[in-house]
Amino acid sequence: MENAYLSQGVEVDKGENARLSSLIGAMAISDLVKTTLGPKGMDKILQSIDPNDQSISVTNDGATILSKIPLDNAAAKVLVDMAKVQDKEVGDGTTSVAVFCGELLREAETMLMQARIHPQTICAGWRLATKVARETLDSMATNTITDDDLMNIAQTTLSSKLVNAEKEHFAKLCVSAVKRLGGSGNLDHIQIIKLPGGSLRSSYLEEGFLLEKSIGVGQPKRLEKCNILLGNTSMDTDKIKIYGSRVQVDSLNKVAEIEQAEKLKMKRKVDKIIGHGCNVFINRQLIYNYPESLFAQQGIMAIEHADFDGIERLAAVTGGEVASTFENPEKVQLGYCEVLEEVIIGETRVLRFGGCKSGAACTIVLRGSSNHVVDEAERSVHDALCILAATLKHPRRIYGGGCTEVAMAQAIDKAAMETTGKKALAMSAYAKALLQLPMTVADNGGYDAAELITQLRAAHAAGNNSCGLDMDQGIVGNMEELGIMESYKSKLQVVTSASEAAEMLLRVDDIIKSAPRRREEMI
Amino acid sequence: MGRATGEIYQDRSKGKDVRTSNIVSAKAVANAVRTSLGPRGMDKLLQLENGEILISNDGATILSKMKVLHPAAKMLVDLSQSQDIEAGDGTTTVVVLAGALLNACSALLAKGIHPMGIAGSFLRAADKAVEILEDIAIPVELNDRESLLSAVETCLSSKVVAQNSDLLAPIAVDSVLGVVDDIETSTNVDLKDIRLVTQLGGTVDDTELVQGLVITKGATKTAGGPTSKENAKIALIQYCLSAPKTDMDNSVVVSDYAAMDRILREERKYILGQCKAIKKSGANVLLIQKSILRDAYNELSLHFLAKMGILVVTDINRNDIEFICRTLGCQPVAHPDQMKADKLGMADHVSDVLMEGGSTKVVKFTGVQNLGKTMTVLLRGSNEFVLGEAERSLHDAQCVVRCFVKKRFMIAGGGAAETEASLRLHKYSQELTGTDAYCFQAFADALEVIPYTLAENAGMKPIDVVTELRKQHAEGIKGAGINVKKGKVSNMYELNVVQPLMVSTSAIQLATECVSMMMKIDDLVIVAHA
Repeated sequence: MENAYLSQGVEVDKGENARLSSLIGAMAISDLVKTTLGPKGMDKILQSIDPNDQSISVTNDGATILSKIPLDNAAAKVLVDMAKVQDKEVGDGTTSVAVFCGELLREAETMLMQARIHPQTICAGWRLATKVARETLDSMATNTITDDDLMNIAQTTLSSKLVNAEKEHFAKLCVSAVKRLGGSGNLDHIQIIKLPGGSLRSSYLEEGFLLEKSIGVGQPKRLEKCNILLGNTSMDTDKIKIYGSRVQVDSLNKVAEIEQAEKLKMKRKVDKIIGHGCNVFINRQLIYNYPESLFAQQGIMAIEHADFDGIERLAAVTGGEVASTFENPEKVQLGYCEVLEEVIIGETRVLRFGGCKSGAACTIVLRGSSNHVVDEAERSVHDALCILAATLKHPRRIYGGGCTEVAMAQAIDKAAMETTGKKALAMSAYAKALLQLPMTVADNGGYDAAELITQLRAAHAAGNNSCGLDMDQGIVGNMEELGIMESYKSKLQVVTSASEAAEMLLRVDDIIKSAPRRREEMI
Repeated sequence: MGRATGEIYQDRSKGKDVRTSNIVSAKAVANAVRTSLGPRGMDKLLQLENGEILISNDGATILSKMKVLHPAAKMLVDLSQSQDIEAGDGTTTVVVLAGALLNACSALLAKGIHPMGIAGSFLRAADKAVEILEDIAIPVELNDRESLLSAVETCLSSKVVAQNSDLLAPIAVDSVLGVVDDIETSTNVDLKDIRLVTQLGGTVDDTELVQGLVITKGATKTAGGPTSKENAKIALIQYCLSAPKTDMDNSVVVSDYAAMDRILREERKYILGQCKAIKKSGANVLLIQKSILRDAYNELSLHFLAKMGILVVTDINRNDIEFICRTLGCQPVAHPDQMKADKLGMADHVSDVLMEGGSTKVVKFTGVQNLGKTMTVLLRGSNEFVLGEAERSLHDAQCVVRCFVKKRFMIAGGGAAETEASLRLHKYSQELTGTDAYCFQAFADALEVIPYTLAENAGMKPIDVVTELRKQHAEGIKGAGINVKKGKVSNMYELNVVQPLMVSTSAIQLATECVSMMMKIDDLVIVAHA
């Protein structure tokens, strides 16, 4: 036995077998998400495997689909991981990256099987090709962006999503939300609230911050010029944290006295909180009846149970600190907002914090015909926000619609002509894989992809390097006129991380699978 | 740059299968509820998992109780919930409409039109339809009681309580208008300010709108306390009338028999002190909040309170405190020290009322001074099914009024509005070219499902009715709709069969959005957690 040196249950795949297994896994993943690419891409229903969990979601977002499918193939996991990184880095292009990587590996398979080119040679060729692609991309990108560009980039991202029909509306929402952030790019200041009911178009941007909580009984329902104290403290009792601490008394009167003392302690705590000079107190934990009535007496608005997420966002947008002890009022920074009031959205009452200290704060209220619609709208808006924030950070843009892919492919082809050796074959293969992106987009749109791509290539060869696919009409069009634009950063990330991952997978020749850890039988 | 060779959707077999299965199952759901549409629509009897039975005509209720498995079917269920939130009424309409649109989709797909193309065209068609409806809508003022009543009656006409609509319609209108902040300018109203209290016994005819408060729990009489008070001063307490208890664990050490006696005496004194404080504030009606940490009251405190002639209602939920306070104009008292006269609410009359025909009692507060902007409706019914359905119907009716608060327009019912929209869309589609033209036509046809189903459910000949409708609308009678009672086509405005514009526009928008989403789906992926 060749594998006798390995412990029982360990499996080894070698050479051809190993390579094929990883290539096929990656290609399967890329095929799965391929149909979601482009403005006419399709959505997937994700249904849980668990019979107790009958929930479904409907999505077009590559990262969401990939992160949820259970996998057993090592290579497929690499692809999924890459899509997740893309999601984190730039937020969009998650499908593109998976598809491109899959296509690279598909080309590699042909080269390996038919041309018998050594994997390392292929990698070398790809590296050259990536370099050319980067240079081309760099030369095509602008160095500044205008507000119109931002709108265009947002619309291009949103065009492949469910909100396609309302992309202008949503692009406006996202652009104005991101612009409020200034340069910070901290998306935490943008809150997204999902409320089913109403149509997508009734989604809107609310200046300020919304919190789905209610104001205590008998307290003012609307306040202006609010000084907000944010707390994370228990308001029932300050318990002694000694295990099993108890009081022993010999009469009920004493119990009553202790109770009174406890109440007094709470009253003092409330007094201290009020002593901070706040007129709004928001606690992460519950505020019980007694403290609530004390606050009400003083005309202070007390909001209980604001959750971790809520309180932290509030701290960010109102510029306050979350306090847990109230001994040193001078050291606690109070938050501030112009107006705090109750508003009704749909059937839900929410609190609106308007005119917050941090002008960046805003809330996108998403409405839609069902939970599935608003969930998907949230993912789409999130993608658009991410890409806009990334664009503001790296203010460069390129044309979309397959324009850059074709230009890069042509530049690589040209470089390949000038390269000697088998590397040149790998470079052409790389170019071919790049072309698969616009091919897939056209294919998903139900157009004659081969025809369109050849037209596009010809247009680029003739020097019209702003040409791309006009997916509304199924013709080659001018991307500048159509306003189809993408972020340079996102495209660069797609190209580089996909080639890196493909290279990594190609270099594998052995797969060693450890035996699954066996669980001891319960006796 | 030449044009590519046409727009052809090369359907992958998987995408096609998934889409077909989605359409088929969603249509099955729509078919399940379509017979409940309209005044002659039938009810469904639902047997729930726990063996309970529910009879309803409300689309949202039926669907939410149906255990649907297929993902597409679930989307339709969700759709009806959204309509419920947005408009409150028309939950069946929206599902039936979605079913018809999906039907249209399968025909369009068979023609080889790209699903995204269909989705886009449908959304544009929906916009156009909404525009048409807005065009034919008639403005309504909230003080135009007659119009509101007719709209509510239209809504109630399809429910089991239709014969009581004379009584329920004014209740719905008055209750909602009673909680609107400003009748001229408000654009929304919170229906949670209206409490629907259901009590078994009597008939729906005994339902009443209470200017005050009803608590569904009789006054506590174990200690022989009063059950009725004139000139009541009401206190709402959140602390407990029982032996003291600390937050820390405590134990009272009893060393001998005398100590035990002393402790009992102390407890008596302690509780008496608390009760006296309440009496001193002038309160003669006491509401006690429920407590889970300790006894909110005990025999002893009830006894004292009874002796002092205080009417006691126990076990008030913390969630209800806000509502009660706003209604009675009182403030909750969380600590004995805060028990002051200024916290009390006033009512002319508080009394325990035995619900006729039932065995339960409620406490009614009437003649409340400083009555807050809240309403209470006391619903009666001879059995639980009627009662449950009456509650849902009344809620729908209130939603209709709320729609008018949000958007002050109404349109003709009885399928009139849909027919008009369909007709005008048809006309409009003739000006279009390309796939849009086909899709707009299909959309217009799908809208006719509403009058068609109405006629079918009423036992009329649907084809005759729909064509007659088309004819009359073409002649310019915008109000022509189905007169279900007479079984013929008549002018809906003359019959006062009207409905809020919002119910129809929201149904069209939501159904179209849902169908578009379904069109975009080409795959069903099984995942660990959706």
